[in-house]
Amino acid sequence: MALVLQNIDLREDGIAHLDNVSLEFKRGRLYTILGRTLAGKTTLLRTIAGLQHPQRGSMELHGQDYLDIPVWKRSTAMVYQQFINYPHLSALANVMFPLKRAGMSRDKARRRARAVLAGVGLSGFENRRPGALSGGQQQRVALARALVKRADILLLDEPLVNLDYKLREQLREDFQNIFKGQDDAIVIYTTTEPAEAIQLGHEIIVMDEGRVIQQGNSLDVFNAPTTIRCAEVINDPPMNIFSGTIDKGHINLQGDVRLPLPSHLDQLSEGPYRFGLRAADLSINGEIESEVELSEISGSQTILHLRGGIGSFILYEEGVYQYAIGSTVNVSLNPDRIYGFSVQGDLVAAPAPMSKQWR
Amino acid sequence: MLKLNHKHFFLLPGLIVLVAIIIFPLLFTLRVSFSSWDVVKPGLDWIGGKNYVRLFEDMRFWEALSRLSLMAVGSVLIQYIIGFGLALLVWRDIILKRFVRVLFLVPMMTTPVIMSVIWRTILHESLGPANDIVQVLGFEPLNWLSTGGMAVLSVILVEVWQWTPFMFLLLLAGLLSLPDEPYMAAAIDGAGAFRTFFSVTFPLMAPISVGALLIRLIEASKLMETVYVLTSGGPGTATETSSYYIYIRGLRDYQIGYAASLSLTYLVIMIISLTIIAKVLTYKMARD
Repeated sequence: MALVLQNIDLREDGIAHLDNVSLEFKRGRLYTILGRTLAGKTTLLRTIAGLQHPQRGSMELHGQDYLDIPVWKRSTAMVYQQFINYPHLSALANVMFPLKRAGMSRDKARRRARAVLAGVGLSGFENRRPGALSGGQQQRVALARALVKRADILLLDEPLVNLDYKLREQLREDFQNIFKGQDDAIVIYTTTEPAEAIQLGHEIIVMDEGRVIQQGNSLDVFNAPTTIRCAEVINDPPMNIFSGTIDKGHINLQGDVRLPLPSHLDQLSEGPYRFGLRAADLSINGEIESEVELSEISGSQTILHLRGGIGSFILYEEGVYQYAIGSTVNVSLNPDRIYGFSVQGDLVAAPAPMSKQWR
Repeated sequence: MLKLNHKHFFLLPGLIVLVAIIIFPLLFTLRVSFSSWDVVKPGLDWIGGKNYVRLFEDMRFWEALSRLSLMAVGSVLIQYIIGFGLALLVWRDIILKRFVRVLFLVPMMTTPVIMSVIWRTILHESLGPANDIVQVLGFEPLNWLSTGGMAVLSVILVEVWQWTPFMFLLLLAGLLSLPDEPYMAAAIDGAGAFRTFFSVTFPLMAPISVGALLIRLIEASKLMETVYVLTSGGPGTATETSSYYIYIRGLRDYQIGYAASLSLTYLVIMIISLTIIAKVLTYKMARD
């Protein structure tokens, strides 16, 4: 029992929003679609919901054609990144709306709507209209309206993106509990944030420019991104990419930086490669002289944008430090965490998975 | 105590205009309504509330008022329904959308008196094209303007023809300002076109609808030119409205004192009834 998309193409004004997308979503699982803006995430969800129609391809739910079913007849619920509710209805009436459309009696609809509202932490707010609720509460109403339908497919299109940090954290935790109760549904969640995708777990689908570029268990994708593009998308800040060669047991990077060849790269033949290194795998106190272009403080970490002989890169430093723009720091690279990509951008060697190190 | 300084003098022009065109005429009319000013004896003699006593016994005035209510409410409701329908029709993408939108506005841009003259010609019972069409369709010619009921319907017809575009314009502006999001939600929530209209479009349009209905009701309560040109209040008094009756008493019979009392009474009734209508509509909207 699954939703199967095959060779879906959707173009508008000559731009491919979905390019030969083939995916299979199984019931009872949570899928996180990760991609940058304009990657095609929202278009994919809107296509599944029936709000947009592909020019090519097929879509089947439980073996039956799903493309020809009009939007209002599909067993789909959707939460958008904007807090979309009915502004003229109370929170309770909002949540009752899909049940009434489905022909449920008023009393039964009210009982179920109240229960779902309580489930998303909105007891006591039933009679307020969306305009009288905070952003987080409005999004909870939208979520309740989606959950109450008990639809076969639950679509969540960056539902946290317009919330402040605290609310985002809180709702993200709530989501994990809420999704546990959706055993009969296919839950598809889109996000631009790698941390969110990994935190939600289950299966991750990485999209870029309308195409699926990698799919798999979230940690597997994080540990072994198959392309440079995927490595950039799955890491925040994006993985640093350096050009260089492997030569005589060493990695030679631009600017005469020479590193010992780590064991996980020693099976690679000599020649030109591109090397990837996460921002957290560089550190201050090394020999590579670099100039600070920008210094940001995020929570308890410092993010440095640097430029040196090896090119422009980003460094993540635990702790809060102040760096003057234009000042010089000496950086070292951790060779054991270097990813090897071909010149064309395909992964050829990856370090040991992070998850094993955490254990 | 208010201390006058130069900034208060900037208020003076507006104040003078306000006093000259609203406050003075209103107070003067009030004073005139307590006089017996007529063609025989013009002047501001004091007769107390005699005009008001006469007014309460004047059934022709009350009949005109109830007739006005019927014609105003009836024509405005029809304008609302047709205007809403037309606005919905051109709201979404249709061929020649801009052209059709402008076309619908033509009646509103025509001078009401001239329009009424044209309609009088159209509805002329022996020479007008309206009866030609009726006969072509195989029916007996209709007495458009010479029987009471038909004359009222004819006045309503002309009013609807003239003012539906105004309603259309307001409602179309309202529709174009509606957010897309509730429609996306409604589609996902399983609402078809019919249900979406009644559960989303209509409630979201409630504030604009109330405004449009009130504006038109205020305008329609002054119904005068159409009646004057089309039927002159006839046959008999079948289409006589309050404004037209006050005009007859004041400017045809020259009973200025009595006409003043009619005007003020009419004004008070209109303010009270329109306030009640506004409150009811707003209350219903808030509750729904």
